[in-house]
Amino acid sequence: MDTAFKGEHLLPGQLGQFFVILAFGSALLSAISYFFATTNTNKLDKSWQRLGRIGFFVNSISTVSIAACLFYIIFNHLFEYHYAWAHSSRTLPVYYIISCFWEGQEGSFWLFAFWQAVLGNILIWKAKSWENPVMSVVGLAQTLIASMLLGVEVLGTRIGSSPFILLRQAIEGPIFSRPDYLTYIKDGNGLNPLLQNYWMVIHPPTLFLGFASMVVPFAYAIAGLWERKYKEWIQPALSYSLFGCMILGTGVIMGSFWAYESLNFGGFWAWDPVENASMLPWITLIGAVHVLVVYKNTGHSYFTATFLVLISFVLVLYASFLSRSGILGETSVHSFTDAGLKWHLVIDVLIFLGLAAALVIARWKELPITKKDEETYSREFWMFVGAIFLGLSCFHLVLVTSIPVWNWIFGTKLAPPTEPVKHYNVIQASFAVVITLLTGFTQFLKYKKTDTTRFFITTLVYLACSALIGGVVVYATGVYKLHFIFSLVTIGAIYTVMANAKVLADVFKGKIKLAGSAVAHIGFGLILIGAVIAAGTSSVVSQNNSGIGYGDEFAKTSNPKENIMLYKNQPIQMGGYTVTYVGDSLASPNHYFKVDYKKIDASGKITEEFMLKPNSQANNKMGLVSSPDTKHYLFHDLYTHVTMAPIKGDLDENADHTAEDDDKNYDPPVAHEVAVGDTIRFREGFMVLKSLNKESHVENIALKANDVAVGAAFEITSHGSAYKAEPIFMIKDGNAFDFAKKVDDAGLKLRFSKIIPEQNKVEIQVLQQPESKKPYIVMKAIDFPYINFFWSGTIIMVIGFLMSIFRRNKELARVEAPKPQAKPKLQKA
Amino acid sequence: MKKSSIIGIIVIAVAIAVIISTYSSSSTYGSFNDASKTTSSLQVVGHLVKDKELYYDAHKDANYFSFYMTDNKGQECKIVFTGTKPQDFERSEQIVLTGQMVGKEFHASKILMKCPSKYTQDKVEITETKAKTANI
Repeated sequence: MDTAFKGEHLLPGQLGQFFVILAFGSALLSAISYFFATTNTNKLDKSWQRLGRIGFFVNSISTVSIAACLFYIIFNHLFEYHYAWAHSSRTLPVYYIISCFWEGQEGSFWLFAFWQAVLGNILIWKAKSWENPVMSVVGLAQTLIASMLLGVEVLGTRIGSSPFILLRQAIEGPIFSRPDYLTYIKDGNGLNPLLQNYWMVIHPPTLFLGFASMVVPFAYAIAGLWERKYKEWIQPALSYSLFGCMILGTGVIMGSFWAYESLNFGGFWAWDPVENASMLPWITLIGAVHVLVVYKNTGHSYFTATFLVLISFVLVLYASFLSRSGILGETSVHSFTDAGLKWHLVIDVLIFLGLAAALVIARWKELPITKKDEETYSREFWMFVGAIFLGLSCFHLVLVTSIPVWNWIFGTKLAPPTEPVKHYNVIQASFAVVITLLTGFTQFLKYKKTDTTRFFITTLVYLACSALIGGVVVYATGVYKLHFIFSLVTIGAIYTVMANAKVLADVFKGKIKLAGSAVAHIGFGLILIGAVIAAGTSSVVSQNNSGIGYGDEFAKTSNPKENIMLYKNQPIQMGGYTVTYVGDSLASPNHYFKVDYKKIDASGKITEEFMLKPNSQANNKMGLVSSPDTKHYLFHDLYTHVTMAPIKGDLDENADHTAEDDDKNYDPPVAHEVAVGDTIRFREGFMVLKSLNKESHVENIALKANDVAVGAAFEITSHGSAYKAEPIFMIKDGNAFDFAKKVDDAGLKLRFSKIIPEQNKVEIQVLQQPESKKPYIVMKAIDFPYINFFWSGTIIMVIGFLMSIFRRNKELARVEAPKPQAKPKLQKA
Repeated sequence: MKKSSIIGIIVIAVAIAVIISTYSSSSTYGSFNDASKTTSSLQVVGHLVKDKELYYDAHKDANYFSFYMTDNKGQECKIVFTGTKPQDFERSEQIVLTGQMVGKEFHASKILMKCPSKYTQDKVEITETKAKTANI
């Protein structure tokens, strides 16, 4: 096909594709050079290292250049490129162009590569004697990520998926045989409306920085095995692991906050496979951090520490496989489709798994595995046990989330649990009980050895106090009505908070080192308390038992009805609130529904009033997409979202209807003969004829001497609101006309149809909108109690991580100081 | 006995417990025929019958939605869902329902639908583009 296509801009794409290939080549060069730099016996020969560095710098520059080309393409709406066409549109605001980057798989691979490049540069700068082996591994990881973007055909199979592929190459279609096809492609598909949210600008970069940073401890663990430096890798790996935990944790919770604030699944965590996948490496790395400390202090648990660090990065790759290969198909609401990378992703996982396993096996005999048993009453022993339980909890998540993978491998037809949320909640809560108790009582143990009597007394006193407080909390919030395990988690989490609060109190007495871990643990405890109470006792406020029956059978078995119907301006009682749908406001492309909430006390006084504006987008491509709005209180949230609304948005033709057409939207007119001061009642209120206004005129119609125009001024009261309307009756050139007036908010149309001079009355026709034609919304409201514990716990935990990172970095600086002591005293951690 | 062996035993015990509990609570994808034979809830995969009525009238009941679906064995059944019509339901390609048979109707407690994603939507877009071409 040698058609010359008109209007295409091929340069940015060719440039981009060049950088994609350069990024791959330079990463490969870097990895190979660093490998030889590591194995080189002549330590004075720096040439391999120099080559490795050059390779990595070129890779970093290429990675940034890829983004520049892609940005140029999206920014200039070059829809001849598939990526721009699929993920952006002309109407997209500039600040969301950045979100387009990670809507597609290629963009999110790029993000991963970018962060890995940043971290690699930091390592080149900071890693000193570790640079060569560590960068060999990072270079390998970078090579594999870059290969995902290649989009090059080798021996008939396409390797990777390039963001610079042209639309006509990506899609088959007769239109693409026309040289002027571009003139028919006016606009792109646009960004998924759910991603047009400021959280979506920052959540993916944070999450991917978390994922990417897992490669660093992994690389250190590999380097430690490779170079047989079994002790020294711990210290730097610990700092980077803490960093990884902090960032990934923040990223995951940001995603959960985004889901809570702008998705409509009614909660902050749904145990969706994609959510689980992002949590897997976090859990194992948290375990790893603890065991690394154990190993550093006692020399025990070397294997567990290495294993957890290694598996964390393998799980990052596995998570990537799960969410990008399309394998989750039937089990996840996140619609990820296979971009033809399934086997590529499998190979990626296997390479790193194989590398880790091979090295561990090769070095197995020399690994510093202790034969001596650990002291039972030492902190390290129980930290180790805690890490094991974290590993088990992760094991469960992997097992259930991977059900589609088992089906794929073994050809079985298992389905995930029918009630996945309940299944995950109960099992994960059981692990959480063990872990919170361990996080609590371990604080009372000393490193190495503890006075047992004192330990038992303090532990039990604190446990009793926690049980007491927990009992009150559980009773007051209603958690006790749930599965008993949730009460135990609440008590355990309170125990964690209290025990660590004691440690924190000791900090002020001078034991400053432990502050970081204590703060992080308190944050973790609060997260659990918040999650259990908010998720466990959230209640649907919009319970609705109206609605005509669809047979007894349906009524008996159906779940509580959770959606409530609101006609415009018709207040409804809902869970202590008087709720009214009062109007709309349009800020294209969003359609906001103004929902007024009032609390009225017994005497009829309004004690509280606020407005929530949940919105929907009637998207051409995706239908109605709704986002909730939430009223935040200190101790609970009121969450409201629209599940159904008769809006058509862009698709609506607002063509002018003729008068008869318009009348079809109303019930048949009812005529009333009234004099000034009379009242007309209608279904939803009443109206009073205030005056007949003889000086009315209708715009653009000039009246002559014999012409008459009379207006009937009405005051209308409907559902507590007052409106005015003045329909006009006109005689012009001997013909009678009437000019109807509509009161949309009251669903009324008034016509002044006749003057009856002999009775001094006028005839007014009242047209009412039937309910089915009135504007309405169907919405759902949920109350989430104590959810702020969840968010504030996260922030506290991040602060704790930060404090720990600073502390470990100080230690690292001491270890790397020019004259290290023979045995650095780092006993107390 | 050494402590490490005790821990090993505990780990294995917990792991086995987890596997068993996962296996016992995992279900199988069934057909409407399977559903009519059991009273417990199960998951059915199938396709929306696009030429039959999707019934949802918020004015009558905001929490009643019914439609017809054929399962993977080709059997057709009326589905009743307590809730609003999921967004963009008409376009769904594949539906996974969780629920149980009540008489001749399948009452779903959960609907998971797969819509044509942005990748496969490509085809649709082209036919639209073609229609435009014809207009000119």
